[in-house]
Amino acid sequence: MPQQTFDTIDIGELISGPSLSISRESIREFAEASLDFNPLHLDDEYMKKSSFGKTRFRGVIMHGMTNYALLVRMMTDWLSTRGGVLRRLEARWLKPVYPGDAITARGTVAHKRVTQKSRWMLFAVEIRNQNDELIATGEAMAEFPLVSS
Amino acid sequence: MADQDAFTFETDFWKDESIRKAWDDIIPGEPRKTIPYVLTKEAIQKFARAVGETNPLYFDEEYAKTTIYGGLIAPPSIHILLMFACTPIDDWMRSPGTINAGQQWYYHTPARPGDTIRLVARALDKFIKKDRLFVVHDNVFFNQKDEVICTGRGWTIRPR
Repeated sequence: MPQQTFDTIDIGELISGPSLSISRESIREFAEASLDFNPLHLDDEYMKKSSFGKTRFRGVIMHGMTNYALLVRMMTDWLSTRGGVLRRLEARWLKPVYPGDAITARGTVAHKRVTQKSRWMLFAVEIRNQNDELIATGEAMAEFPLVSS
Repeated sequence: MADQDAFTFETDFWKDESIRKAWDDIIPGEPRKTIPYVLTKEAIQKFARAVGETNPLYFDEEYAKTTIYGGLIAPPSIHILLMFACTPIDDWMRSPGTINAGQQWYYHTPARPGDTIRLVARALDKFIKKDRLFVVHDNVFFNQKDEVICTGRGWTIRPR
């Protein structure tokens, strides 16, 4: 199959992204690597006794930015073999992720736009858990630079 | 942390909580104190591994040299680490119970091993919605050549 390019990628094309299994160990590893040691992610007792406005959690939760990093990983891996560069990602979290959950990233090509100096593609992206519940949604934008000859 | 000899990081976020700004104290527009940070290959790869990255652009120097980047780079998501690496212990982002509600980032130039990274940051706005205390964060990372690495906005719900 010939390699895809900006011109041959169709609106509606699906991107099947990677999955991550979340455990206390993976959350600890992310904390060590990102330096985010917020007790939300590490201290069960704190989480059980605290209330966050109307939101309560049954224990430690995954860093929301793990969702974000997984979406970045999906996009950069998909784009790097197609001549694209990730320029923008916007994401919102809808539900917390707990140890024992697994998250999977997915994307859909939503729009293409040629500007005076470059070519751009928009994507709808999301994260779902093992029960197919929506965890995070967002939009990505990639640039496909014109190849100078 | 053998990979970051000159860099020590307080991992107990409770320790300095009394000196951090609460929602009432945060003034939108006022610059946040930041600290330049030297990004190492080890820190990049530790971060990349923690999110399951396998792209050789982050791990394989010989391969990376053959690409348009001309050498190893960090994944775009490295700002997740940089936000903590470039801010001091009394920064309000470390307040225990700070909840991240969502973020958006624009990526210009990749961060690379050996870069000295500088953050310019402020709260841009604060508001109350559904009885929750929100702050809008506005962040720009530069490399040592004053090139923009990335620029981002985030929303957090403050614990107090």
